[in-house]
Amino acid sequence: MAESTNGAAKPRFVTTTVEVEGRTEERVVEVPAFEPTPWEADAALTHVGARARRVDALLKSTGRPGYTTDLQRAQLAHAVVVRATVPRGRLTALDISAARAVDGVLDVLVHADVPARTRMFSADITYVGQPLAAICATTREAAEHAASLVRATVEPLPHAVTVEAALRGDAVRPGLQNNLMQGAPRTNTRGDIARGLAEAEVTITREVRTPCVLHSALEPHAAAAEWDGDHLTVWESTQGIYRVRDNLAKALGVPLTSVRVICEAMGGGFGAKNYAGPHTYIAALFAKRLGRPVSCVIDRLGEQIDTGNRPSSWQRITLGATRDGTLTAIQLEATVPLGIGGWEGGPGEIFHELYTCPNVSTHETFAFVNTAAMAAFRAPGHAEGAVGLEIAMNALAKELGIDPLVLREKNLATHDQKKNRPYTGNRLAECYAEGARRMGWSTREQVRAASKRATPHLRRGFGVAAQVWSTGGGPPSYATVRVNTDGSADVLAGSQDLGTGTRTILAQVAAEALGHSLDRVRAVIGDTASGPYAGNSWGSMTVASLTPAVRMAAEDARRALLEAAAGLLGVAPDALETREGRVVVRGTERSLAFGEVTAKLGNVMIQGHGSRGPNPQDAGIVTTGAQFAEVEVDVETGVVKVLRIVAVHDAGRIVNPTLAESQLEGGIIQGLGFALFEERRLDAKLGLPLNIGLHDYKIPTIADMPVIDGHFLDGADSKANHVGARGIAEPAIIPTAPAIAGAVADALGVEVNELPITPWRVLAALGG
Amino acid sequence: MKLSINGRTVSAEPAGSTTLLDLLRDDLALVGTKRVCDRGECGACTVLRDGVPIYACLTLAHACAGHEIRTIESLGNTDAPHVLQESFAAEDAAQCGFCTPGQLMAAVALLEHNADPSDTEIVAAMSGNLCRCGTYPKIVRAVRRAASLARAGTAEPTRG
Repeated sequence: MAESTNGAAKPRFVTTTVEVEGRTEERVVEVPAFEPTPWEADAALTHVGARARRVDALLKSTGRPGYTTDLQRAQLAHAVVVRATVPRGRLTALDISAARAVDGVLDVLVHADVPARTRMFSADITYVGQPLAAICATTREAAEHAASLVRATVEPLPHAVTVEAALRGDAVRPGLQNNLMQGAPRTNTRGDIARGLAEAEVTITREVRTPCVLHSALEPHAAAAEWDGDHLTVWESTQGIYRVRDNLAKALGVPLTSVRVICEAMGGGFGAKNYAGPHTYIAALFAKRLGRPVSCVIDRLGEQIDTGNRPSSWQRITLGATRDGTLTAIQLEATVPLGIGGWEGGPGEIFHELYTCPNVSTHETFAFVNTAAMAAFRAPGHAEGAVGLEIAMNALAKELGIDPLVLREKNLATHDQKKNRPYTGNRLAECYAEGARRMGWSTREQVRAASKRATPHLRRGFGVAAQVWSTGGGPPSYATVRVNTDGSADVLAGSQDLGTGTRTILAQVAAEALGHSLDRVRAVIGDTASGPYAGNSWGSMTVASLTPAVRMAAEDARRALLEAAAGLLGVAPDALETREGRVVVRGTERSLAFGEVTAKLGNVMIQGHGSRGPNPQDAGIVTTGAQFAEVEVDVETGVVKVLRIVAVHDAGRIVNPTLAESQLEGGIIQGLGFALFEERRLDAKLGLPLNIGLHDYKIPTIADMPVIDGHFLDGADSKANHVGARGIAEPAIIPTAPAIAGAVADALGVEVNELPITPWRVLAALGG
Repeated sequence: MKLSINGRTVSAEPAGSTTLLDLLRDDLALVGTKRVCDRGECGACTVLRDGVPIYACLTLAHACAGHEIRTIESLGNTDAPHVLQESFAAEDAAQCGFCTPGQLMAAVALLEHNADPSDTEIVAAMSGNLCRCGTYPKIVRAVRRAASLARAGTAEPTRG
């Protein structure tokens, strides 16, 4: 067991920076008592890196892994939300008498009934879908029927659902000086953009629009609550049990330690389930008032109009370069309608990161409008920004007469330009090369020409795009590993599994570090009562944040186990090693199974503690990758069919290739929806969302699937953390839509620069 | 009314407006069948009526009187999984798993009618079931695998 042997006393708590969803946060962190020696790329590992089966795969195939929406409790009552149907106005009266009279209705919550910190049921209506009241009944049907009988009297006020209207100054909500986030646009500059443009021998400008898209997790937002005296237990479909606990304690004014949050299994999040929401508070408040468990499950309409979105963007991009393709200037002007709240998850950041360029300027206007607030959605900002930047790069390549792949390779970012420091690892150049080889990039001209001869109305095209995304994770994250008296082991962590496979990879890392067999290690997660703190599953940071803590805890437990076994075997602890659940005297056949050691110990507990140490401060930690798209466009109908996506990413060590590929495919498929189908439509005049179900809001189906060739570069990033792993969830989606857009332009010879690339936009671009 | 659910005769007195999905989930606690859109858009509530896949959210409970309903609970369990459940697990065809019961029941119906489906036939049969995590490529492989195992006789018949 290796550990740092730094003789000088290290401070136990230090301040470090971590990046979450593109935002940098300063945090105080604990420096671990020991740091395991990094697993280098050539480390001989058994379980880490193996294609282990998802531990709950069969359980999920029974339909009963423990979703919040499936919770069964005696006397469980059901709550529903009453929502505003106008984008802005003043609620002057709310008649709930008819609702109360419905058979089965138990209780009603209105503004006067709820703590101010829940911020629910305001009389100032600022978007369609805003909660106005909640109804609880013995059955969901009764509650829904009662909700339909609530009569709201609203004095309408002018609204703004577009950036243009918001910038004209119509107030979208009380208390705003203007309708801009932070009161003003955000400008970020590196170098001298005027000089960069002056030095350019070629400049191009493009306008690009990306749509507002919806997370559309199949399990809706949902919570169930039950009180036992002053103690509250909440089941929540969430990406962060600890954050929900914190939100609940603050909103309800109860002690943090009186709240327990459980998420055994959840049906998708994608960024929209990071906090407690009105459904959580409604369930908790009704449960308290009624003295019985209450469930609040948001219906699909509520999901469509009030649980977050990726906001739309308008981008005007200007690129300047010398004749040889060296970038001299990157300029972005963008507007983003956030909705009634949100944060600056804008397209600008990637313009500073993806390519080497001394002169970069981004100017982004984030406007509040009368629609539901945006929420983080898988690579917020970067997914939109990559569309604008990469479309512009393709236009520049065409203008220069350079292969778009060559232009990208020429301007590769070799270091973290925002903080002027190296990366711990960035093998994007290899991703380009491997992806081009897999796609057959060099023969694309022949394929295109042959296809055009064979089927003149079906045009083949090829595109490429790249990504960069901070995936270093960071502290605080803790884990406990215990070896049970039967020799099996548990990993305890306050994390949750969204469907990414967290439960599986934590067990793999613990089994590796313990020297145990994987089927004897179980991850116990999703419960604030049992697992020490772990952060939200967001920002593609769970693997990099949590697996080092799990590894450390497992090594700590292993050390204790070896010390116990040493006495039993009559040798020194350092003469022992562990292999597949046995303690072995090195170089001999003598061994004891873990269970034989623990059986001798009685109720003495073998447990290890692990914590996540700080990230290196002198290097940026990113996942990079390139994706290539091959499409076929029917120029008579305008229909785009994606034939193939090749994706090659460098995410450091891959803990489980099968699960990583699944996540990569998931990002690509969501990116395909972003490129071709998905768009939340609004009636600007009425402020009404128009596509309010999964029939009108199109997500990809199995019939839309291309061939997906997903690949990860072999290796490990041992400078990033001692497991050597980074994240992949968000990187996966970033290049897909711009690669498809590039392929469509390649096929048609004209660009379609507004997503989604629908048949009518294709036909319009062709002049049809 | 009486109907058969997973081989057992069930007596129920649902309201006229009660859907099969409400009956299954709310009255019978058969919550393996999922409620997602509740209006026939996503396929998460797919069950079999007399062997034919239907959306339970669009089917009135009374329309099932005298019929044979099969839900995800009629397949295997983790100790003795149905060949399709085993194949979904082997191919990692479930991420969050929320659409999986509906996918499985659509696949059961397919394989009961077509023991050797082509990929095109698999896609056609499964295209009424949405997944947001992006398991589609692995679903095709899982159905193909299950069909192959069943044909080779290395698995129980696919009837669930």
